[in-house]
Amino acid sequence: MVIQIILLCGLVIFSGLAILLKDLLKAALALAAASLFLGIIFFRLSAPYAGVFEISVVAGLITVLFILTIALTRKGDEVTEARLVKLAFPIFLILFLIIDGLVMKSLLQKIPALPSGPERGTFGEVLWKQRTFDLVAQVGVILAGVLAVLALFRKKEEDKDE
Amino acid sequence: MSNLWFLYLFFSALLIFIGLYCLLTMRNLIKLFIAVEIISKGVSLAIVATGAVKNNILLAQSLAITYIVVEVALVATALALIINIYKKNKSLDVRLLSKLKG
Repeated sequence: MVIQIILLCGLVIFSGLAILLKDLLKAALALAAASLFLGIIFFRLSAPYAGVFEISVVAGLITVLFILTIALTRKGDEVTEARLVKLAFPIFLILFLIIDGLVMKSLLQKIPALPSGPERGTFGEVLWKQRTFDLVAQVGVILAGVLAVLALFRKKEEDKDE
Repeated sequence: MSNLWFLYLFFSALLIFIGLYCLLTMRNLIKLFIAVEIISKGVSLAIVATGAVKNNILLAQSLAITYIVVEVALVATALALIINIYKKNKSLDVRLLSKLKG
């Protein structure tokens, strides 16, 4: 329980750093560290496949994509944020912590528990047999993403002539 | 177990709040996208934690993996869009986008 709370606090702290740090590169690395914490939490919740995906894809691939974008947009750091944003963040955070705690405590007892029994079979059976449609949709989403990136980086007709 | 569920939902709501705060207040396009990532972390934490507490971890895992794949496609497309916007405006300031015409 204590380790879980430490991991969850680490996740929130690095997520907060990701939005508060001015340097975009450091912000992207803080986001990767937050993903790492989330991956470890998934492992501890006995969800190893989700943990592996979170660490390899989100902490690895997405961070690389972010760093590549930051390198290609060098003047990104020059955007000036409003002064009050960072000053007001702790105040709003404390307010939200109080509201969140109160709402969760009062609401969770009123939510009726859904009937659920222990699952049977393996992860592969659930993924490939029960959620087959999800896999088809995933293939569609990946293809749509590839086509969108190709369309966005398509060269203009004039460039080709040159 | 419900106390544990309360704890995870509390932290996932906190992550969603951090992301929403950044989305509403910041002006840098990459920062806004980092905020979207933080919100998605909160949602995936809620999915897996609920699955673990309700003894449906296999289903929750498969949903989380689907969510991560969709997230990757979204990130690739959005970052390509951000690079194109930067090429056009020479800035990542989101306020400049309101000046676009037609």
